[in-house]
Amino acid sequence: MATYYFNNKGEPCTPFTVSGEALVAAGQAIKAIAPDGIEAWRLSYNLSTKVVDVAYEGLSEADAVAKKVSDANDLAASQLAAEKAARGE
Amino acid sequence: MSNLSKLFGGGSTIDPRKEGLPLFGMWGGSSDMNTQMQFRVFDSNFRVTSSPWAAVSSTTTNYRFGILADGSHAYNMKDHGTDFHSNLTTESYSSWTNWIKSLYQVDQYPHCFYYTASRDGFVTWQSYHQMTSSFEYQVGWTKLNMVLPEGIRPRRTFTNRRFTMREFMGNSDCNTDFYDYSSHLLNTDQAYATGTGYNEKQKMLVMVHSGDESANTSKTIHIFRSSVCLNEGTKRIKDFFDNLISTEYFTDTWTNQCVKDWVVVVGNNGYVGFGLKQSNSKRYGVFDCNVKGTGVAITGASRQWTTWHDFAGSTTTSYGANSGHQYYTKFQTTWDGTWGMIYSPYYYYGVGINAYCMSLENPRKFININQTKSGRANPYIAWGRTGFHGGWSDNCDSEVWQTYAFAFDPKDSDHTIQTRVYKGSTSGDGAMPDNNSLVGGDFDNRTGVCSLDAMRTGLHGGTETTNYPMLMGINWWGNYGAADQSYGGK
Repeated sequence: MATYYFNNKGEPCTPFTVSGEALVAAGQAIKAIAPDGIEAWRLSYNLSTKVVDVAYEGLSEADAVAKKVSDANDLAASQLAAEKAARGE
Repeated sequence: MSNLSKLFGGGSTIDPRKEGLPLFGMWGGSSDMNTQMQFRVFDSNFRVTSSPWAAVSSTTTNYRFGILADGSHAYNMKDHGTDFHSNLTTESYSSWTNWIKSLYQVDQYPHCFYYTASRDGFVTWQSYHQMTSSFEYQVGWTKLNMVLPEGIRPRRTFTNRRFTMREFMGNSDCNTDFYDYSSHLLNTDQAYATGTGYNEKQKMLVMVHSGDESANTSKTIHIFRSSVCLNEGTKRIKDFFDNLISTEYFTDTWTNQCVKDWVVVVGNNGYVGFGLKQSNSKRYGVFDCNVKGTGVAITGASRQWTTWHDFAGSTTTSYGANSGHQYYTKFQTTWDGTWGMIYSPYYYYGVGINAYCMSLENPRKFININQTKSGRANPYIAWGRTGFHGGWSDNCDSEVWQTYAFAFDPKDSDHTIQTRVYKGSTSGDGAMPDNNSLVGGDFDNRTGVCSLDAMRTGLHGGTETTNYPMLMGINWWGNYGAADQSYGGK
């Protein structure tokens, strides 16, 4: 586990203490504990539960990226299908 | 004559290169790109400047279409079998589609490689299926990083490779000038030019030579000052070197994963910032390149201000020139030429942004800029007088379009005090709060991290359909002055 600093929207901001503590002091960041070995793009600070969430938890980085792309494509396909249905196509 | 000149208004000539405040293009289309798309050009106040460009089709042919002579002739969306709306996580035969959709698409030069537009709003898709053989894709990293006066983008394209500078005309691959400057070098130990910056105010050219075009760490840095401006329209490259006032150099050993990533920012005060993407992070160092005297200060240590600085924001897997020369680290400046930005993606091949922003008056003043998106890439471009913005590019169905915009104080160049960054919000009350708080932040020099926020623009599609607007560069922002509706002031 390691300290990570997130902005006030819960997005990754910095892993560095000097930068992070300055932001926390200015009210611009949140200090939290994040799991080791997870790429930052998968981390987010849940403002409701006040813990760090890991996207695609349990998957390797490669599998997480693949799942992310797959999910995006599935979403686009479902949106297109819904639009075509709405247009009566 | 001078009196006559003033009498007829000639005393305050505006540089003919000077443009109005930055324009941007916004291309919107339905998710399948078949049924609707539109393109418009907006000014920095988000007021439309172009005639609406739009087309509709009820077919499912998936071919391009247009009513105003769209210059492209290729498939859309699935060209080379790759979805342009991919998340840019793969590198394949059609990797160029990652590059052109990413933040790599635009830099400080007024030429965009994928979609571009005249200021009248006529969009052109410039894909001819040979992007990988093009100048920008292969050797765009040889272009000079330019620090220019207010309102001016590079209108001449100079490159530097080995011991030779050349000139090109925009996106054309035809040479228009050539000059071997090796006779002016004081040290030729390293033979590969891998990063060059020019400051027009100082007529100062700074170039890095490395031991190869890969990852060699040996460096020789030359500093040239001339009485002739390199950008003077009637001058040739040779004229700059024929009129040198001073030539100095220093040597050093610099860590770099790929020498093609080096960006050279020549400040107005003679300090020079050198930055690049390094692994998933970045490095930035500042050296005093003011005149020291012949044979004096010829080591990096004797000129370096403090130490090398690693990027202080969040990082994740991301790629630079070591994964393909087209992914070289980019440079842009604000419209007024007071702040610069060295940047590369946060995520893989082009999403989000990791950047250093530095005062162009004093490159010792810099902060870290971070935006940690991992999907829907969009370029970042100059915005307003002293800022930048990048497109949000997420689904704008039932949403207004948003941008990641931020701005600096043009007078702020003191590296001993914090840097103020102005930002916005996704709500009106957030942008104009019911309190006396700054919307933005003050950040420590070197270690401060500014995390960018999305903010609403008031632009919406007007149809209830999935669409992913993309930000585009505009070739010419129009003449400076009253003709520019976003100019403001008096």
